[in-house]
Amino acid sequence: MSEMWINMGPQHPMTHGLWNLRVRIDGEVILDVDPEMGYLHRGIEKISEDRHYNEVITLMDRTCYVAGLSWEHLYILASEQALHIQPPERAQYLRVLCEEFQRIASHLMWYAAFVQDIGLMTPFLYGMRDRDLILDLFQSYTGARMTYEYMRVGGVRNDLPPGFTDQARKVLDWLGPRFDEYDRLCLGSDIFHKRCDNLGVLKANDCVRHGVTGPMLRSAGLRRDLRKDRPYAVYDQLDFEVARADTADVTGRYLVRMEEMRQSIRILRQVLDWLDHHPGPVLAHELPRWLGAPYAPVGREGYLLKRHYPKGVGFSSIEEPHGEAQAYVVNEGGEHPYRVKFRSPVFANVSAARQYLIGYRVADIPPIMGSVDVCVGEVDR
Amino acid sequence: MQPEDLERALGPALGPTLVGVEPFVGFAGRLRFRREGALDVFRAVHGLGFAHLSLVGGIDWVDHREVFYVAWSDDARQYVLLSTEVPANDAHLESATPVWPSADWHERETWELVDISFDHHPDLRHLLTPDGYAFHPLLRSFKLHEPEELEVKTRHV
Repeated sequence: MSEMWINMGPQHPMTHGLWNLRVRIDGEVILDVDPEMGYLHRGIEKISEDRHYNEVITLMDRTCYVAGLSWEHLYILASEQALHIQPPERAQYLRVLCEEFQRIASHLMWYAAFVQDIGLMTPFLYGMRDRDLILDLFQSYTGARMTYEYMRVGGVRNDLPPGFTDQARKVLDWLGPRFDEYDRLCLGSDIFHKRCDNLGVLKANDCVRHGVTGPMLRSAGLRRDLRKDRPYAVYDQLDFEVARADTADVTGRYLVRMEEMRQSIRILRQVLDWLDHHPGPVLAHELPRWLGAPYAPVGREGYLLKRHYPKGVGFSSIEEPHGEAQAYVVNEGGEHPYRVKFRSPVFANVSAARQYLIGYRVADIPPIMGSVDVCVGEVDR
Repeated sequence: MQPEDLERALGPALGPTLVGVEPFVGFAGRLRFRREGALDVFRAVHGLGFAHLSLVGGIDWVDHREVFYVAWSDDARQYVLLSTEVPANDAHLESATPVWPSADWHERETWELVDISFDHHPDLRHLLTPDGYAFHPLLRSFKLHEPEELEVKTRHV
């Protein structure tokens, strides 16, 4: 028998982004894998050291281009802790609104790409069609469809436009039944089960050993969700369940993500009801001008009025669509963060690739890596 | 779990390796240790239930460098923050991979970006920057807006 290394990437239909999976194979059997990252490394942590706190938000949208608002939220939470700033309650509800809509949009993007990986072409169009409705909502209050720059240290940039909550409810009413349709399309298909069942199995204790989080961890049966375990923003006031599956395989990850989208709809309905009845400020009042300007970047003269905050370290962790993201922001008293460190969930999930790929066949790689939901932007940063 | 609990549980076993435990918002505590007994600290903290290592990172404080670890316990539903200092002219530390395999890529990244080497790491090579990249961008001495000379070797010939 002859073994050889093959490159799947950096230009390969499987990769969904710019990265390379090197695979050592014997015939069709995978003997070893070596993910190669860095093609999209932009040095976001380094650039952040050279920018004002609010200017880093621009980079957060680019960190993960399918879940920009979640990453903004992550960074904002850590910065507020480092700078000792408390945002108003309405702003926190607006951030949860952003994050849950972003979760659905990100999972729909995953769904569209994943079903294409396993050879089902039609659901791709459905996934993209429904994601577009959420992008329309984002556009109506942030002005952008992909790079939002909506959150601010101390709150959010602007309130919702009139009539937004009704429009959002219409979108949720449309989306709910669609998820059942997706299930009928996929789970009712023999092709789906033949390509997904018992593939890429990663048991719970291996997940923990190798730092795997998010839907992959929950599909292995662990009930771990930072929104429940370590509630941030206003998640402790919202009622929802943690999605879970027991099979630890590709099908399990599909089921977890579908259930998460249904739970997100449940959260969003509560948030929309709250927003309807609680008007108020969306940006903290006592901010200095260099931080408090609602539209960044503020003028140079604004920055000159900087006030030195007491030094501090901020840490935040949120349940991002891909898993557990963390930010560590060190404030040394200036107007730039001294050091910003991000933990990307996909970074850890891909680093465990040996654990869930070795022993399977080459043709199993697309569904398995598809079920990991790789977003290269946040791996490389 | 509170900082005092951590100190009571770890203090006797670690002795002088443990510098101290301070409170940290939302955490079981911030545990400072000396780098000489790093592996003992990792084993002891893992033994307390902090089985999930989420993050390893480095900070350049110019005269010295700091390495920090964030680990999560499923029983306590809490994080713990570990941190240690290494001198800038001799920046190396024992790898955490024997205790937490998830430290693998995080340590590779810290090595190439912050120039902190990890002893007995199974596979310490470039992850985000190209092979042969001689710079460590996250050091304070690495200034943006300055041209750099770069010769990139191909990864596979």
